Amino acid sequence: MCSIFCREQGIEETDITIRQDINTATSEAAQPRAIGAVRVVGRFKGGKSCLANLRQSGALKLLFPRRASGLEAVMINTAGGITGGDRFSISAEAVGNCHMTLTTQAAERVYRAQPGQTGGMDTRLRVGTGARLNWMPQETILYNHCSFQRHLTANLAKDATLLVVEPLVFGRIAMGEVLSDARFNDCIDIRRNGQRLYYDAVRLHGDITAKLSRPAVANGANAMANLIFTAPDAGRHLTFLRDALPDTGGVSLIGDDLLVLRLLAKDSFVLRKSLLPILDRLTDNGLPLCWRL
Amino acid sequence: MVTGALIPMPTDPGLTRLQQWLSPSYPIGAFAYSHGLETAIGTCAIISSDDLRMWLTDLLKNGAGYSDPILLVAAYRSENAEALQDIEQQARAFAPSKERLAETALQGAAFCQTTSAISDHDIPDLTYPVGLGYAARRHGLPLDLTVHMYLHSFVSNLVAAAQRLMRVGQVEGQRILTDLAPLIAQITQDALTSDLTDLSGSCFLADIATMQHETQYSRMFRS
Repeated sequence: MCSIFCREQGIEETDITIRQDINTATSEAAQPRAIGAVRVVGRFKGGKSCLANLRQSGALKLLFPRRASGLEAVMINTAGGITGGDRFSISAEAVGNCHMTLTTQAAERVYRAQPGQTGGMDTRLRVGTGARLNWMPQETILYNHCSFQRHLTANLAKDATLLVVEPLVFGRIAMGEVLSDARFNDCIDIRRNGQRLYYDAVRLHGDITAKLSRPAVANGANAMANLIFTAPDAGRHLTFLRDALPDTGGVSLIGDDLLVLRLLAKDSFVLRKSLLPILDRLTDNGLPLCWRL
Repeated sequence: MVTGALIPMPTDPGLTRLQQWLSPSYPIGAFAYSHGLETAIGTCAIISSDDLRMWLTDLLKNGAGYSDPILLVAAYRSENAEALQDIEQQARAFAPSKERLAETALQGAAFCQTTSAISDHDIPDLTYPVGLGYAARRHGLPLDLTVHMYLHSFVSNLVAAAQRLMRVGQVEGQRILTDLAPLIAQITQDALTSDLTDLSGSCFLADIATMQHETQYSRMFRS
């Protein structure tokens, strides 16, 4: 189905990779690639949320700032960004009555990729009975010529609570960057008790800036946030969120336990300004400190 | 070459059935849904007929016009009840807002109930594109024509909705539909080679419009 996008953007459908005829092992290994993986399990013990298991390798590390309540994990990409061929995987699980928050130290930059190479990030979340998990990375900034694929799956127990917020910035706006040729694939798949609760997929290929300028797409907005909040009492936040949103945002209680919010803004600063009060509300003023810096 | 003689052509019963299913008189209540157009027109995101044409083009390329045919094709090709239920679950989970879920679920339920009542096939309640794909398969109707006519009725219904909300004349409405015909044909062809891994959407402002519609002060439509 890529063909629609390709035609629309006037891109040749032929292979864009320019393969050189030198086919030795050394040329294959010429480009170093970042590989990072973390697995973290949080539990509830002695009246508080704490770490039960942690495993980290490669270019991904977790830091645990001391906090009054909840378990907070700050992800650090020691490679300093993502480029084509990089592979990151994150697995996080909250069990018991654990409240866990995952965030990033700073905005994630997705750099220009070598032709034919795609960076990947795979996130798997599990939230057990009575537990809560907040997945709230700071902005992901897409650079022109990037190629990036994200996949997030979450499995929730019946009464588990999950907050997912993913702010996205299309290009380095301050320096006038446009995404004239880039690839971004994103997929969020949330299941409760094994039943599909929420599914969203976005594919932006080619001239992303031109697509975002379309009236029913983004009308020229350069920043966007997608937020999903699922909890047995999700509906009690609906009125607050409606009142907090600007004209370029919307919120809907799709099911009794499923609240979704989509917000567009001209840049990441304006996006954050709208998003912060919303996140304060949904985290009971427990927004990670790094979001404030 | 003109022979002057009329060539008798057999009427294709499948074509007649599709025409019946996808006509505005089939009682699925399509007239009640504006797919967010009521908000987009109310907030002046759509003012002229050119704006309307652009908006509908976006919906076809990046919105439900792109994703519904993928669901329809998957349902048509599903091999058993379990696979069909998986597609149905994905169709519901993919709805971007409460009113969009109601739009596809209620039209779908009405379609499935009516179609079951007038045929020998028992069609369970499914979302609209999934139910149509499944029913078309059970009736042995051609997939390409089903997708094509589904997309045409989708756009046609939205043009009719816009004509009740803004100044678009009868001829102008039909002109928009004519202009969009090649795109509809193209998307139909692309959908035939799709599978559920292609399911995606990027009509963010159209989705937001259907969310905002929930609290719109004055409304004629259910979405």
